[in-house]
Amino acid sequence: MSTSAVSEKEVAPKGGGAAHHGHGHGHDAHGDENDLWPPDAQFGTASLGKIGMWFFLCSDALSFGGLLLGYGILRGQSTQWIHPGEPELGINFTAGLTFLLICSSVTMVLAHAAAVENKRKEMLMFLGLTILGGVLFLTGQFKEYFGIGGPGLIEEGLVFGHSAYASTFYLITSFHGCHVLTGVIYLTVIFIRALLGQFEGGKHNHIEIVGLFWHFVDLVWIIVFTFVYLVPNS
Amino acid sequence: MASHVNRKEYWTIFVVLFVLTVLEVGVVYMGIPKTPLFIALSGLALVKATCVGLFFMHLKHETSILRRSIAIPMSIPAFYAFILIAEGAWRRLPW
Repeated sequence: MSTSAVSEKEVAPKGGGAAHHGHGHGHDAHGDENDLWPPDAQFGTASLGKIGMWFFLCSDALSFGGLLLGYGILRGQSTQWIHPGEPELGINFTAGLTFLLICSSVTMVLAHAAAVENKRKEMLMFLGLTILGGVLFLTGQFKEYFGIGGPGLIEEGLVFGHSAYASTFYLITSFHGCHVLTGVIYLTVIFIRALLGQFEGGKHNHIEIVGLFWHFVDLVWIIVFTFVYLVPNS
Repeated sequence: MASHVNRKEYWTIFVVLFVLTVLEVGVVYMGIPKTPLFIALSGLALVKATCVGLFFMHLKHETSILRRSIAIPMSIPAFYAFILIAEGAWRRLPW
């Protein structure tokens, strides 16, 4: 598909979507025209996809909430949290991973800003950087678990199932890691669609929705980093 | 969707998040007692999470009903966590 030709065709003026509303709801699964729906009394101009993503994120946050609360209860009641032979979690390396996720959140909002302003190259560059941030985070987590150029946590004696400390740590961080992986795949799909010219002319709805998911992953990591890594042992 | 693009705001939030992360790690190395440290860490994490939600996820610009439909469900696990922590602290008091 020649992208320049497509962008010529797909760049519709804002008002051009009005005719599209007439199609009714049957064809709106396509979704790109969500930006152009008339404002809703309760939700304003938020698109259906965006509201859907928010409600999904709420349920996802409750999953994380359950895991973290379970972790808190187990840890709060334990007389000995870290057993002999188990390593303590390294803070400095993980602080770097936290910084990486914050950076990728910034590139995500900048990609969205570029999409709104119809700056194609900038949008693609920042989407690419966001994906890179996610891949680097996953690499970092792999290094933390299995070790690259040095022993990982498993080798150091933190084994899933051997203690509440080990099990809650792996459960929570790998559940988050799955979200990062999902986010990277989701972002890659959006990146390819952007490359094909589907988000030209300020169609930023899908960029904003993938952004919501990505920022949520960052937000959860902020909580996980604080309560799993930083809270000290008595 | 009114397009809320405010690059200056994004960079400000980035700096805030960076400084708060450094502060969080710094506070752990400062060796202050456990209870104030825990309170400080929780506060910092909450501020950071709120910053991401309000500015990066554009909640600041959404309608109040969308904001509330998110804030109310989210406050339930937060409230539960608060009760658990308060209860744990209560039992550890030297009665």
